[in-house]
Amino acid sequence: MDNYLLTIITLLPVAGAVALVAVGRGEKPNANAMRWTALLTSLATFAVSLLLPLKFNSSAGLQFEQNLPWIDAFDLGVRYHVGVDGLSLWLVVLTTFLVPIALISSWNSINFRLREYLISMLALETGMIGVFVAMDMFLFYLFWEVMLVPMYFLIGVWGGERRIYAAVKFVIYTVVGSLLMLAAIIALYYLHGQATNNFTFDIATITESLKSHAFTLPLNEQRWLFWGFAIAFLIKVPLFPFHTWLPDAHVEAPTAGSVLLAGVLLKMGTYGLMRFNLPMFPDASRKYATFICALAVIGIIYGALVAMVQPDLKKLVAYSSVSHLGFVVLGIFSFTDQGLQGALYQMLNHGISTGALFMIVGFIYDRRHTRLISEFGGLANVMPVFSALFLVVTLSSIALPLLNGFVGEFLVLVGAFTSTTLPNAKLFTSLAATGMILSAVYMLWMYQRVVMGEVKNDKNRELTDIDFRERLALAPMIILIFVMGIYPALFLSRSDRAIADIRARVVPSAKVVAMTENFDNSK
Amino acid sequence: MNNIGINYHSILPEAITAGVALLIMLVDAFMRRIERRIAGAIALAGLTGAAAALYTLRNQDGVTSFNSMIIVDDFRLIFAGIFLIATFLTVLISLRWIEDEQLPTGEYFALLMFATTGMLLMASANDLVMIFLGLEITSISTYVLCGFRRSDTRSNESAVKYFILGSFSTAFLLYGIAFIYGATYHAAATPVATTNLQLIKERVAAGHLFSPEMLFAGAAMMLVGFGFKVASAPFHIWSPDVYEGAPTPVTAFLSTGSKAAAFASFARVFILTFTATSLTGALSDLHSVATNTLAVMAALTMTIGNLVAITQTNIKRMLAYSSIAHAGYVMVGMAAADWKAVAFYLLSYVVINLGAFGVIEVIARRGDKQTEIADYSGIGFRSLGLSATLSLFLLSLAGIPLTAGFMGKLLVFKSAWASGFHALVVIAVINSAISWYYYLKVVVVMFFSEPQAEFKAPRVARSLIAALLLAIIGTLYLGVLPGRVLRALDQATDQLKAARK
Repeated sequence: MDNYLLTIITLLPVAGAVALVAVGRGEKPNANAMRWTALLTSLATFAVSLLLPLKFNSSAGLQFEQNLPWIDAFDLGVRYHVGVDGLSLWLVVLTTFLVPIALISSWNSINFRLREYLISMLALETGMIGVFVAMDMFLFYLFWEVMLVPMYFLIGVWGGERRIYAAVKFVIYTVVGSLLMLAAIIALYYLHGQATNNFTFDIATITESLKSHAFTLPLNEQRWLFWGFAIAFLIKVPLFPFHTWLPDAHVEAPTAGSVLLAGVLLKMGTYGLMRFNLPMFPDASRKYATFICALAVIGIIYGALVAMVQPDLKKLVAYSSVSHLGFVVLGIFSFTDQGLQGALYQMLNHGISTGALFMIVGFIYDRRHTRLISEFGGLANVMPVFSALFLVVTLSSIALPLLNGFVGEFLVLVGAFTSTTLPNAKLFTSLAATGMILSAVYMLWMYQRVVMGEVKNDKNRELTDIDFRERLALAPMIILIFVMGIYPALFLSRSDRAIADIRARVVPSAKVVAMTENFDNSK
Repeated sequence: MNNIGINYHSILPEAITAGVALLIMLVDAFMRRIERRIAGAIALAGLTGAAAALYTLRNQDGVTSFNSMIIVDDFRLIFAGIFLIATFLTVLISLRWIEDEQLPTGEYFALLMFATTGMLLMASANDLVMIFLGLEITSISTYVLCGFRRSDTRSNESAVKYFILGSFSTAFLLYGIAFIYGATYHAAATPVATTNLQLIKERVAAGHLFSPEMLFAGAAMMLVGFGFKVASAPFHIWSPDVYEGAPTPVTAFLSTGSKAAAFASFARVFILTFTATSLTGALSDLHSVATNTLAVMAALTMTIGNLVAITQTNIKRMLAYSSIAHAGYVMVGMAAADWKAVAFYLLSYVVINLGAFGVIEVIARRGDKQTEIADYSGIGFRSLGLSATLSLFLLSLAGIPLTAGFMGKLLVFKSAWASGFHALVVIAVINSAISWYYYLKVVVVMFFSEPQAEFKAPRVARSLIAALLLAIIGTLYLGVLPGRVLRALDQATDQLKAARK
């Protein structure tokens, strides 16, 4: 049963999508039947995925594995290999958690081509889960690319005014990166096959051969492979200066699309860095850490500054993502246990707080059909419950202690500050810390302009507070914001081993690092 | 069997398709006007028969006949299979169209079958003269097919351009063959010149040549000739005009079947003959010159095809440039000297592209009226089945995983990487990224744009539905479960292995 668990989780949404082809057909299409089918499917997926953390063995590596041969001719050695470890466990759960919430939050906002919309959402869910559970590079690439199609349609069909531009830009950016990754995948597959005479795309096998030195990559080869993978991932993150697709895609996507885009899709980039770049190309990772961290810090500050001046709520949240993901990248390339843990935790946090922020923006957009900050003001008077929940999410996003964001950012900053591997670590950390201050500035200022004060715009007097459905969508996020802020061990304990493994690949121990560095200098 | 090796079994597939072509003409003559269903049924039955005949040849590995003009090896059987699939799908997508257009049915199907006969001969040829013969049978049939809509000036233009440039390139090919024939004369060792591919290979390997430079010159001219036929840069200029003007099913056939046939001969000559043996002395350059030239042509072809495709506003013309780009990817496989990857790529391309043209034909309506990309505005949700099908084929051409297009690219890129063409692989992946843009443009227009004009969902004939279903199944089968086909290819033999036995 455990072997099939991941396959079930991955394919359940697609099964729901297939069912949706038939559900609610008739003279007058039954919209609610379709919505409930989609929601129940995603809830069932979530319920099944909860078995993963419950049954997870924190001291073991890859679990819930299923490994079947798929294409074996031409030395291809493609396998259907799925599994989760501490790195992917929570990301899978985050995905299955966010999809039903996104569906609830957009319950009434989609009236055009509802069936196709729901099918796209469920297909997207399968693609996202697939990326996190795939343990074969072929399978990983497959999910990575196939997932583009539903997202493309979500933005292009149900998006805002500039949706076509945004959809095409999103796809082209991603595809440029992913095709370079394909070249790197082929190269890695070939080099590994040549060295070990075992032609395979299996991620675990290749990582294992690298660890046991059955397969060694000189720095020169690592360099190319590192960038082949890294460009794909950094575009997805997105790291400054590859971030320009993100504000367009986020702003034009329908609310549920933005929630998943920010909540899950961006994490695929940072996940890829931790799954491929660090463990497979440790020397190149160390070599380019300064460069990437510099970009990350620029992204943190630049994203925050640009967010500050946005007149549009959704754009503000989008740019805040650029800033927040900069922290994640900084944590990853600090090569410390705390930094990597913080990065992983921050990925989950960002998924929840930014997902919630996009939902909140969606709620007021549904009411007023505008997202301009200047149109609002004094919402606390007419929408008290909304304003209270909005405050919690805002504070989570600026990392107030006791809320989830604090744990992640704190770990990242501690990790980065204490890093001995990353040159100029202290400088990077200090600059990144100013990003935290800036985030408080733009988030609180935004909150103040939207919620506080008197109601100035007469249109806002008539607004109704969020209803039961909207509260239902927001409540689990709020609960998690507190749980993750107060009891992070619940999550961190399960990822300890995976993080330590990754760190050990890059920085085996202080002594060894010193030796390799000397070796490098002598060249 | 007498001393020149007459073996009718070995040319049975070609004999069947040629016989069927004649039969269609006869029935046409006696029935005054042949019913499209009868002609189509005869053609489909003939193609099935030819496929069965191919199947009976599977165990005769390496057998040559007709004075070594014809060879039976897996290389031939696989490529012949691809051609038969291409013609089969073309017949299916033409069945209804030919009646709607009120064109002479008998001639159309007869020409199609003659073209197929030529293509089959190109795969089975073991002699440069035989390749030339097959090529001419195919070319002349397709010249006529291009101009088949006689009252349409675009169709006429297409036929004339194709004829003039095609003849020109054939002349190059023939000139090259003559040079090679001359080069294989060696006064002491082999005092009789030859056009037989196996003998050429042996003499090249042994260095028994009249002059290596002459062989180089001949190979270069053949490269030009084949370059024309497969529409690879810089010899691709003819193809967009021809593809745009020709009737849609003919364009589909040209861009898949006859292109695949040209690649079959191309591979037979360049991969299996010229670059197959390790050469020494003055000829040691031949291998590297040939593969490097192919690599440069591949890079040029992909890049030009993809870049120019971006700016196209007519969907047939866009697919013409896309077809050039795909020829470029196939050339990557040629440079890597891996005919199996080439064969798989062509198989997947044939299936996908014929499917795409099938949809385009329905939407174009009578007289190819609606072929501008703007005509596709907003048809997405009004004709969901057709649009979704076309989207699948376009995404597959772009190379999305789980479809045939991706597997083809993966195989080609993989063997190019293994042969050391690393930069070429990078150029190829960047090109793939570019190609996403124009394939998606059609999807954008179909699904995301507002409808411009009154659009009534067209009625789709049953034969076309069958063709589209076959193409969809083929695209997904080759993408999701390619194992069986790949294994068959992996174990396939060619004339080299066959000769070694």
